Amino acid sequence: MSQLQTRFFTENKKYSVDDVPFSIPAASEVQDLSSVINKLLEAKNGSHSQVEFDFLVRGQFLRTSLASHMEAESISTEDVVEIEYVERFTAPQPEECMMHDDWISSVEADSEWILTGSYDKTARIWSLEGKAVMTVAGHTDVVKDVAWVKRDGLTSLLLTASLDQTILLWEWNSERNKLKARHCCRGHAGSVDTIATNPTRTKFCSGSWDKMLKIWSAVATEEDEELEEQPNRPRKKQKTEQLGLTRTPLMTLSGHNEAVSSVLWLDGEEVCSASWDHTIRVWDAETGELKTTLTGSKVFNQLSYSPLCQRLASGSTDRHVRLWDPRSKDGSLVLLSLTSHNGWVTAVKWAPSHEHQLVSGSLDNVVKLWDVRSCKAPLYDVSAHEDKVLCVDWTDSGLLLSGGADNKLYTYRYTACESDAGA
Amino acid sequence: AEVFLPCRSSHQAEPAPVLFPRPPRSQLGPVSVHLTRNSDVRNTVGNIPMEWYQDYPHIGYDLDGKKIFKPIRNKDELDEFLDKMENPDYWRTVHDKTTASDIRLSDEQVDLVHRLQKGQFGDQPSRHTQIHSCSSGPIVSKMVHAIKMGWIKPRKPKETTPQYYDLWAKEDPNAILGRHKMHVPAPKMRLPGHEESYNPPPEYLLTEEERLAWEQQDPEDRKLPFLPQKHSCLRAVPAFSRFIHERFERCLDLYLCPRQRKMRVNVNPEDLIPKLPKPKDLQPFPTTMSLVYRGHTSLVRSISASPTGQWLVSGSDDCTVRFWEVNTGRCLKTLEVGGAVKGVAWNPNPAVCLVAVCFESTVLLLNPALGDRLVVGATDQLITSYEPPEEDKEQAVTWALSEGPEHDKGHRLTLTHPKGVKQVVWHGKGDYLSSVMPDNTSNLQVLIHQVSKRRTQNPFRKNKGLVQCVSFHPLRPYFFVATQRCVRVYNLIKQELTKKLTANCKWISSMAIHPGGDNLICGSYDCRLAWFDLDLSTKPYKMLRHHKKALRGVAYHKHYPLFASGADDGSVIVCHGMVYNDLLQNPLIVPVKVLRGHQITHDLGVLDVTFHPTQPWVFSSGADATIRLFT
Repeated sequence: MSQLQTRFFTENKKYSVDDVPFSIPAASEVQDLSSVINKLLEAKNGSHSQVEFDFLVRGQFLRTSLASHMEAESISTEDVVEIEYVERFTAPQPEECMMHDDWISSVEADSEWILTGSYDKTARIWSLEGKAVMTVAGHTDVVKDVAWVKRDGLTSLLLTASLDQTILLWEWNSERNKLKARHCCRGHAGSVDTIATNPTRTKFCSGSWDKMLKIWSAVATEEDEELEEQPNRPRKKQKTEQLGLTRTPLMTLSGHNEAVSSVLWLDGEEVCSASWDHTIRVWDAETGELKTTLTGSKVFNQLSYSPLCQRLASGSTDRHVRLWDPRSKDGSLVLLSLTSHNGWVTAVKWAPSHEHQLVSGSLDNVVKLWDVRSCKAPLYDVSAHEDKVLCVDWTDSGLLLSGGADNKLYTYRYTACESDAGA
Repeated sequence: AEVFLPCRSSHQAEPAPVLFPRPPRSQLGPVSVHLTRNSDVRNTVGNIPMEWYQDYPHIGYDLDGKKIFKPIRNKDELDEFLDKMENPDYWRTVHDKTTASDIRLSDEQVDLVHRLQKGQFGDQPSRHTQIHSCSSGPIVSKMVHAIKMGWIKPRKPKETTPQYYDLWAKEDPNAILGRHKMHVPAPKMRLPGHEESYNPPPEYLLTEEERLAWEQQDPEDRKLPFLPQKHSCLRAVPAFSRFIHERFERCLDLYLCPRQRKMRVNVNPEDLIPKLPKPKDLQPFPTTMSLVYRGHTSLVRSISASPTGQWLVSGSDDCTVRFWEVNTGRCLKTLEVGGAVKGVAWNPNPAVCLVAVCFESTVLLLNPALGDRLVVGATDQLITSYEPPEEDKEQAVTWALSEGPEHDKGHRLTLTHPKGVKQVVWHGKGDYLSSVMPDNTSNLQVLIHQVSKRRTQNPFRKNKGLVQCVSFHPLRPYFFVATQRCVRVYNLIKQELTKKLTANCKWISSMAIHPGGDNLICGSYDCRLAWFDLDLSTKPYKMLRHHKKALRGVAYHKHYPLFASGADDGSVIVCHGMVYNDLLQNPLIVPVKVLRGHQITHDLGVLDVTFHPTQPWVFSSGADATIRLFT
């Protein structure tokens, strides 16, 4: 067996070749196939410049020689092999490194600003170029999670959740660089480890070590909703006055048996939470009902949801990134396990504009970029961190961010092929 | 006149009719009678005077040519007379001279004789034994033909081969003394070696002195029964002079060999191993090292997890107590205390946020202010709400409330003991705690303190040996005290000794009580772990010798059927320890995993192990100043 009958196809019209079978040496690898395609394109179009391609055989990325890949996947070599090719994703390019004073617990970036939470009890706002813009100080303990709520022109609303059991809603004016604590959300009886804003930017959900999920209003108002403070806690009273108006939850979702480690909104009505009790639960945000429970076997660290492929990705206290279908009714089916990390997966994030790609961070100091079509090995390993990676993010504009216990926030420019995104 | 008739048929059962001269009734003289009998004794000598045989022991020959012997004793006249007078059949008895035997005539024969005497025909015509009837003629000719052709063999020779039977046919093949079981193979002869060769290598040839020594030795003492000799070629080898002797000795060997049966027991080594489930069926249990908590600068003697599982406290010889966030390995707080920390214990009551720390002769109760703010506040309130009693009793320790900067650091209560405190342990409800001051000379070794009332009592009047560690029963008012060699179980309400468990080891180092309360494990410095089933016996139910070096810490998991032990060999061994509610079923103990990671420093490896309260994770603290989490 030295030659294989193959047929190449691509979704990208720019690089399409004739739909005829080719005889390809079975031992050829990605490089060889790529040069074949380039030769074909050159013959077709004289002005073609060299492009690196990646190849998919039945939806799986080719990483070894064609023959061994087909043997591993048990694909018959008798038939004509259909090989899809896509323009190779370029490696993430490191951009900035932002030094913090302490461990970075969380990061969320949008198209203009980066918000990070840190163990030095503050959150920070950075420009995309890596310039420290603002320090959000107000919590009395470690900031565990941060989230942007919305931006009206120059005024932004942002949230910080902390170990001191509160969530603070801040208003930040980027022009004047003025920050104001608008609301202090009280109600949790444990450290608030995770927050997520709903798609309409009017509510947010928080998950805490006290096993509860709480849904709050994310709209900054002027009147104090809180009742009279207990007179025997004068210190807290003082703090409340300092840090805006106290806010109480709209709804409490209880059902988890252990701490809630991650929460997100599937859409406007559904909240999904992951917990230390080895379950992922989907709740109705209007009624507070539990809709679905997905049961795993390990503590979950973080969840991410991709509306493009409608899959949940979970990082848990083992080496695997697992993909779930939140709509499935049977409850505990793992669709796919991505295994390459050597430590707990602390952070996962789907690509906002690509249905197959996600990024994961782990305690083994490595950030990995995955394509779910290649579940055996990641696309790229980013090993910039010198200590545990605790958080990752991926913005719409193709910026990857990762922060960790080495006090550094790294940003990488990464462009997944837009042409392939709709495939 | 004597008449001789050949017999008519050999198949006839009756004696053949013989023509007799009519004997006088009064006297039946000697008559020569030839009789055909069943035994077919027939003299073949013919009609000769029998006197010719009177000097021989026999009187003729039968058909086979064998001698017919005379009766051993002849009848004399007296016998004859007695016979005549007494035997009623005497008149019908005739003497056969040819066989020298008396024959009693049957009624037919007598009848025949009578008829012959009357001059009538010998055979009665009415009898069925007609000889030449018309009907029987073809039958006879057929038989004669068959005899001629050899189809019928008259006077078929009798089977002369001796009849044997199988002596062992009915033998029970399973009998213990069965023939085959008693088979003793002949001892094997030694195979010839180089010295027996006709041309042995020179080192096998004896030197002159050796030869002299050989000759002087007794034949029994000789190493070799012969002298190795060298011959130039096989042809030159002489006859073996000792051949007969050697054969004789071989016979002696065979005959004198011990006939003792050696009972060999074939045991499959696999069968000796108890049937235990495979570890992979017993998941979950910790398998890999996930996190390392770094920050201490000296050996970490003791660790304890918070009841919620969010925090971990550790005490070290660098005189600090550190609080860690479990899931990230972050050290959140570091508290300096005034001495090397021997023990830390987080209050197991989730409604109280207190950590007991012991160093030197002090037990310090800390409020780490971690977790729920309300709980933290309630704990402080609980401590400050104490009202001193009316009459102040003299106590073994002094309770002091911390104030000022110490209060801000988290110190709440300081219990100053008279002696160095080694261990501190909480009761499950979180109000009582016990401290251990090992001291071989006094009864003041164990104290039980009540935090809410700030009371201290010494439960023991007598010194029963150096106390190593103590523990409260998780459910009932029992108190476990481990001394060097045994564990005593006291009932705190009745104030009496309930049980004394003998650990069968030299020096107990650590102890843990199963959350169900009916089982406990003891680690010892002589590398053993003893599992006691309190319902079963006061002796260990199982002894596990998996560690290579002294055990320093043992722990049970609160929910999962797991227990772990840490030892100086730097390893933590996790075992599955299932306790069944069914009293008839003994606990199932399966070692599942050896966890390595700690470096051995100053010959010390793992100093303490503890489980996460909710997850199947185990923490271990080591002499390499790290704490490790295995998940």
